Amino acid sequence: MKRTAIGVYVLVTLALLAWGYYQAIYVAPNDAMQGEIFRIIYYHVPSASVAFAFFAVSLVGSIGYLASRREHHERAQKFDAWALAGAEVGVVFCTVVLTTGPIWGRRAWGIWWTWDARLTTTLVLWLIYMSYLLLRRFAAGPQMQTLAAVLGIFGALDVPIVYMSNRWWRTQHPAPVFGGAQGSGMDPSMVGALLWNMLAWFLWGVLILALRYRVERQQQRIAAVEEQRALEA
Amino acid sequence: MNKLTMGLIIAVPIALFGMAAYLILLAPWSDAASLDHLFRRAAYTITWAIQLGYLAWLGLKWQAQKRAAEHAGFASPAKSSAH
Repeated sequence: MKRTAIGVYVLVTLALLAWGYYQAIYVAPNDAMQGEIFRIIYYHVPSASVAFAFFAVSLVGSIGYLASRREHHERAQKFDAWALAGAEVGVVFCTVVLTTGPIWGRRAWGIWWTWDARLTTTLVLWLIYMSYLLLRRFAAGPQMQTLAAVLGIFGALDVPIVYMSNRWWRTQHPAPVFGGAQGSGMDPSMVGALLWNMLAWFLWGVLILALRYRVERQQQRIAAVEEQRALEA
Repeated sequence: MNKLTMGLIIAVPIALFGMAAYLILLAPWSDAASLDHLFRRAAYTITWAIQLGYLAWLGLKWQAQKRAAEHAGFASPAKSSAH
């Protein structure tokens, strides 16, 4: 039953990714100013949205771990696994944002990169979560999870700054697609393609997030067994 | 998972990265429309390369963990209910 449900979920996700691609390439029109290069937005913006959502998962996991680590060990381990999974999958999507953005920028602006507020804060966000993952990979000892949780909370503080950066400061980055000032936003003929891709990439993200969580939980079990054996020996 | 499947899982993201680099590096700078098309394709290709590359890494980790779980003497990730 569970396997069937997972199979259906995977099929629906793949079908939506294909549908999103079709919408982005064949249904949405070319941008009047930018031409075809504008279509990068259909992968770039959904990736940024999903990255933000998963950094929020990491934030909740980190707070949950810190709140429950003393009294509820098992629950704390679950929170920690969610925090790690959220951070890692968030970094994957953030990497997509930081590679597709410059490809668009090279054609639209004539440069790969500029130290504009939106780009810089996004790079800082990526660096914070990369340091979080490196800490988890190379640090050892009982304090590692606590330190990682604190870093995860600090990292999440950058998310609203990234989101608001092109509202607070004058940036070279285009105006917000949703919730921007008057005159910003998208033509209605393009919104559908963006929303379909958002849904598809979100479902894909949830799939790999769940997989990463499961791998981490198993890792915790193996570590616990090995620790117990070492104590017994 | 046999060796061929493992090889494919690793080779596909690498091939996609190579394809994206090829599209950008060899794009004809004199033709704006072709350039836009190739850069758009490169961006989409690199997105898939990153996503499938991560999935491949996760698959390899899963495999390694399965062996470690068998070594530790309890159910592999595929058999245990981790939630």
